[in-house]
Amino acid sequence: MSKRIDVHHVTRVEGHGNIVVEIADSQLKECRFDVVETPRFFEAMLRGRPYIEASHITSRICGICATGHATTSLRASENALGIKPTWQTELLRKLSFHGEILDSHILHVYMLVAPDFLGVGSVIPLASSQPDIVLRALRMKKLSGDICAAVTGRHTHPIAMTVGGFTHFPKNGELEILRQQLEAARADVDATVELCASLPWPQFERDTEYISLTRPDEYAFIDGEIISSDGARLPIESYQQVTNEYMVPHSSAKFTRFQRDSYMVGALARFNNNYEQLHPRAKAAAAAFGMQPKVTNPYLNTAAQVVEIVHCVEDSINIIDQLLQKGVAPEDPVPPSTQGGEGVGACEVPRGILFHHYWIGEDGKMTGANCIIPTNQNIANLEGDMKSLVPQIMDKPTEAMQLDLEMLVRAYDPCISCSVHLTKVVRP
Amino acid sequence: MTAYTNPVGSNHTLVIGIGNPLFCDDGLGVRAAELLASEDLPPGVQVRELGTPGWGLVNHIQGWQRVFLIDAVEMGEEPGVWRRLEASQTQFISANQSISLHEPGLADSLALAQALNLMPDEIVLYGIEPSFTGPGDELSPEVTNAIPSIVKTIKQELWKTT
Repeated sequence: MSKRIDVHHVTRVEGHGNIVVEIADSQLKECRFDVVETPRFFEAMLRGRPYIEASHITSRICGICATGHATTSLRASENALGIKPTWQTELLRKLSFHGEILDSHILHVYMLVAPDFLGVGSVIPLASSQPDIVLRALRMKKLSGDICAAVTGRHTHPIAMTVGGFTHFPKNGELEILRQQLEAARADVDATVELCASLPWPQFERDTEYISLTRPDEYAFIDGEIISSDGARLPIESYQQVTNEYMVPHSSAKFTRFQRDSYMVGALARFNNNYEQLHPRAKAAAAAFGMQPKVTNPYLNTAAQVVEIVHCVEDSINIIDQLLQKGVAPEDPVPPSTQGGEGVGACEVPRGILFHHYWIGEDGKMTGANCIIPTNQNIANLEGDMKSLVPQIMDKPTEAMQLDLEMLVRAYDPCISCSVHLTKVVRP
Repeated sequence: MTAYTNPVGSNHTLVIGIGNPLFCDDGLGVRAAELLASEDLPPGVQVRELGTPGWGLVNHIQGWQRVFLIDAVEMGEEPGVWRRLEASQTQFISANQSISLHEPGLADSLALAQALNLMPDEIVLYGIEPSFTGPGDELSPEVTNAIPSIVKTIKQELWKTT
């Protein structure tokens, strides 16, 4: 038996990558996920720029993780400059971060993954055949965007977040409205859990090392320590001991490995490492999927995202309650306590752990930057999964194999190339 | 409320600049929207720079009578040439058939809005042919020269038709 699967530009993945699988004489000869990643020129773009611009520049790297990049950037600068943000700043950042996690997860679940299960090629035919499902997704996405807009001044690319704090503050009345909307969204959240828990998730298990942030006080999205499901805990400043980046010939992205050949980051890693800190309603959602840590089926990364949707909605309500109890008051950003320095920021953005490492000169200009995105950290693990999966599905027709592989890639929710968005038209 | 979607009160026309300013000419919609927003515009018009909204564009355009989009568009023209394209008479090439797109492009978002009956009455795309859309934060000279002219035309159309 010989087969070759060569899927160029896996559709419905953020960005693109190519799946190449070759089977000859019933033996797996080749199995890889090519990545055509935009070179990380962003780091070069930061050099020589005032640190105060870094979060705005990096927030443009990604239209989905804009708040994630901005927050990680701010934490790197603040750690370099000895700035401790206020209680209010931390809560506002957490709230907008939840907004972005919700936005991204909803997009992934409904627009990218659901069409696979519902037997349609993409979300557009789904919008015609089952508009209620897509309208629900857009409704939830709108609320997520409104959270970001209320806190950061704009939906996709935050403008009100700055080093040391905020330049714009939501009014208490705005937070009260958001709170009502979040409570009303529980029906949509429950419907999402119900829909997703009923889907026939592929059965495939491969244990790996799961890496995420962890915090003693909460389910970690911003700051904390690096934790491995294999037992290690490291401060974020030691991230290079975890990522160990290396090059492979078929990819322009750098691969990573820690204590095994590869590791996984993202919602499933967070779920496995920090399950106990999930909101009770999120744990109930996990139970609906039959999930308890450690979950080793990578397809269930999407299910873990659904669990996090529940958590973030509930935690957003909690955060708003805390903010309203004291009332949000304008405050000046906390000033730097040192001139220049070196700092690492780490956040759990939707796709996993993101590191920004900055060097700031005494003149306030960036002298160096290193950014390690989650998708790069997942690619080696994705290839490991593919190599393990292919022999199990080798007897399927090629098209069915291809779909299984594409669904696996999509389960990782990769963001491979934050590239241009050029519109092409044919004019009459 | 800072809700970013749907018109408030008597607003009827939304002008949206789209693109990524970290990819040179891809960011032209953002630059043009910034310039237009600083101009004197008729009542009922809002200008928004959305960067790379992906599927979120559907939420942004919902409920408006008229939407103008400013974006880098491959039309097979010389760099810097701009065109006014009626969406109803234009065939958009969706992302899956073309180059790598991080999120769905304009074509996908408009197709989704169409499928859900959420399209405004009128959508006009003001497109400029880009010269270079690789990494970098500067516009090409051709596009830089085109922006004041396209902004002036949009402003005139807004005043004439409002």
